[in-house]
Amino acid sequence: MDYSRPDRVDRLAAEYVLGTLRGPARRRFEALLPAHPAMRSAVATWQQRLVPLASSIETVEPPDRVWQGIEHRLFPDTRTLASQTAAAALPWWQRLGLWRALSGFSTAAALALFMVASQTPAPQAPIIVVLGANPEAAQALNASFVASVSADGRALVLKPLNELSMSPGRALELWAVPAQGAPRSLGLVQAAGATTLLRTQFLRDTAAFAVSVEPTGGSPTGAPTGPIVSVGKLSI
Amino acid sequence: MAVAPDEWSNRSTALGLLLSRVALGDRAAFAALYRDTRSHLFGVILRINADHAQAEDLLQDVFVNIWRASSGFDAARAQPMTWLTSIARNRAIDSLRRRKTEVQTVAAQTLNDDGEETDLVAAQASDEPGPLELLTQAAQARDMAHCVGTLSKEQQQCVALAFYQGLSYAEVAEHLTQPLGTVKSWVRRALLSLKDCLGRSGTEQAQTN
Repeated sequence: MDYSRPDRVDRLAAEYVLGTLRGPARRRFEALLPAHPAMRSAVATWQQRLVPLASSIETVEPPDRVWQGIEHRLFPDTRTLASQTAAAALPWWQRLGLWRALSGFSTAAALALFMVASQTPAPQAPIIVVLGANPEAAQALNASFVASVSADGRALVLKPLNELSMSPGRALELWAVPAQGAPRSLGLVQAAGATTLLRTQFLRDTAAFAVSVEPTGGSPTGAPTGPIVSVGKLSI
Repeated sequence: MAVAPDEWSNRSTALGLLLSRVALGDRAAFAALYRDTRSHLFGVILRINADHAQAEDLLQDVFVNIWRASSGFDAARAQPMTWLTSIARNRAIDSLRRRKTEVQTVAAQTLNDDGEETDLVAAQASDEPGPLELLTQAAQARDMAHCVGTLSKEQQQCVALAFYQGLSYAEVAEHLTQPLGTVKSWVRRALLSLKDCLGRSGTEQAQTN
């Protein structure tokens, strides 16, 4: 099957969304989606055309056991369950693997910053947080950052660790994520170079920092609306 | 009761807010999202896979997927209801592969939970509105009636059977006792007509806002 012809891609996307693309062809098409933005965008457009037609389907109340099953699968409270299951239940940014993979890197970053800091008479070392790229949002933007917060918690410098190509009309917004409750916006940050932010307190009630992709001017709702491309957990 | 016409777009903001919190691991927001969307998504799944026990498992899978995929949701590119419904539809369609291989060994008459005999075919054709009726209702509510109206009755029927019941080309052909090739070209032409009409009428612009 030739996936390079736009009319063919559009027809396959339409049949995929309608549901008539089946079997190996459906699986092949689905497998190609992550690496092919044109196919993804064709699917998104057809979803927008057809999927709202599902609004006329009469709702059916599922039994309570469905929610119990979901909770059991995602948040098994009993410790006897395999740690594997528990790890899979955590949101991706709390999963250990990510921190492990990044720990070598963050140590290097911390060391580099310490060397810079030690040349100036800083009374206390700043707190370094590496914001790792979110694999789930890699399609939108593959972005890692390092944030350094001054020891008094009043100044934050955020720097991208890789080159970021932003689509026009989109901006990056930094968030402070509390352990519980809604994230707080810390403002827009630059895609190239360092952004310095000053606040009365960055660290209080902050469990992690996150960066999301938003429309120019920032999230219109006060909460992240775009994909969360990068998150770093704060461990003091 | 179906999802109210405006609700699809109007509730987007509220659902978008919930999704952004779910993306950051907020379990309370996840519970609220489930509460708000479960009966719609369960209805969507049951239309495609009428087996109640399987549909319950599928709904579980769908919400497990939502929890994991929510950090990749992009409100600038998709409405939350469209995104959530697409996840449910895809999961339900994928489940049909298995049903097909099983159906050959299972009789059309099966015992339900209460031990009564139920007919799998009759269960589909109950007093619920048929696929064509659903298409007409949705098209009117979504301001797409003139576009759906440009399709022939046969085209409307094929699209409705595929979209609402999850029938494949072969199953639609069998259902309508028409040759497979005819059904395929009806559907393909119907999709092109819809695309043209929706693009011309500016409905697509309205839906992205």
